[in-house]
Amino acid sequence: MSDQNKDQADFDPLAMWKEWQTASLSTWSKIMSETVSSEDFAQSMGQSLDDYLETTTPVRQQVEKAIEQYLQQMNMPSRQEVISIAERLTQLELRIDDMDAKMDDMLDLLKAIQTKLDKPES
Amino acid sequence: MPNSYTPDPADMAQTLTEALYDSFERNLQSARIISESNSIQVGQTPREVVWSLNKMKLYRYLPTEPVDPAKKKPVPLLLVYALINKPYIFDLRPNGSFIEYMVNEGFDVFLLDWGTPGLEDKNTRFDDYAVEYLPRAVRRMLKVADAKEFSMLGYCIGAALAVLYAAVYPQAPLRNLILLTAPLDFSNTDDNIFATWLDRRFFNVDRMVNSLGNVPSELIEFGAKMLKPVENFVGAYTTLYWDFIDDQESVANWQALQKWIHDGVPVAGEAFRQWVKEYIRGNELIKGEHIVKGQVVDLANIEANFLNVVAKYDHLVPPHQSTSVMDLISSEDKRLDIIPAGHVGLMAGRNARYKLWPKLAAWLEERSQ
Repeated sequence: MSDQNKDQADFDPLAMWKEWQTASLSTWSKIMSETVSSEDFAQSMGQSLDDYLETTTPVRQQVEKAIEQYLQQMNMPSRQEVISIAERLTQLELRIDDMDAKMDDMLDLLKAIQTKLDKPES
Repeated sequence: MPNSYTPDPADMAQTLTEALYDSFERNLQSARIISESNSIQVGQTPREVVWSLNKMKLYRYLPTEPVDPAKKKPVPLLLVYALINKPYIFDLRPNGSFIEYMVNEGFDVFLLDWGTPGLEDKNTRFDDYAVEYLPRAVRRMLKVADAKEFSMLGYCIGAALAVLYAAVYPQAPLRNLILLTAPLDFSNTDDNIFATWLDRRFFNVDRMVNSLGNVPSELIEFGAKMLKPVENFVGAYTTLYWDFIDDQESVANWQALQKWIHDGVPVAGEAFRQWVKEYIRGNELIKGEHIVKGQVVDLANIEANFLNVVAKYDHLVPPHQSTSVMDLISSEDKRLDIIPAGHVGLMAGRNARYKLWPKLAAWLEERSQ
């Protein structure tokens, strides 16, 4: 292949683009890694989260209160009441699981007794 | 005389047109692959639910191919994953699933799925998962498998839960304990971005939990991605674009992994509060100051055969968080393996089936007869 043909074959805009992109991403990665690991960044993240919660919490509480009042007027259970039922259901499930465990123990014990009884005395 | 090359404008125009066309095709293909990620099938190894409580489910997996009875291991294996993502990272795709691999190797594999907590679970503490719920799942597993002993593999925060369980219940018939990327020791804050973000000077965990109840999955996903923002927000897509867009198998793996990354679960508020205050800030577990049911949790209670796998390039759980536990446990048979992989790539990367899975299977096989 002549030099001219080789140069023509080497001209690959996609490869050049990929090379440029990889190099710039690598640079950006280093810059961003240093940024996010700094205490200044941690402080600004924490502050942003605090600001968000400070702004949205009262609004959300007001909306929840209004919905709760509406549901009460409509004679329907509120979210809190449904949550309370779900919590009680979980407690019931735990107790059933405890009973299940005790039943298993009892069955194992009965099986052991049965085995001993079935065993001819030597 | 030097050979000066003057490009032929017509050739250049043709090359540029082809490059533009190729780029356009790649963009279209990328857009299609990304948009279809959410609908890709994951967790396809056949399984049955053998126990459930609240949102939690215990699954038992069935082999996808005939297993030689001589190959079957009598000691069941329980997989415990973290609270912040779904556990199908263990079972991403057929031929790319750790669970499928282990089941076909003859292991009786169980997976404890913590489920998605609702507001009714906001008071569940971190310790409750290990001390209140895990023992119940273990009991059921032993019953179903008709086994006297078991092996447990904890991954990420699931490893911390497994360690807590093993330390609190030394009488449990735990024969083998495997930890993968276990976040246990938070004493070194130099290489720990999470610890910096969660420092009490910058982050008010009480305000967040009191206000939101549970910690939304989006917030956790955002935090995890911000640890390496360029790689996660841009790099993941440029890799697809340049490196394997025409390789169907790699594309399917990428889609499954992307689906998993974006498929997080909220964390119960009290569990998050306890994790941040007592485990990360207080480093109580490693310092021997953590109290459960009125008793100090002593890691020296752990006597099970112990394999601690650390990912060398883990940016979520840097290796130093996982290694110090080796000096605190009492296990006579203990081993630390450092594998050149990242946090997720360790279990679900292209090389996991060659680097990690056979290693785990071989280690367990020796200790599961």
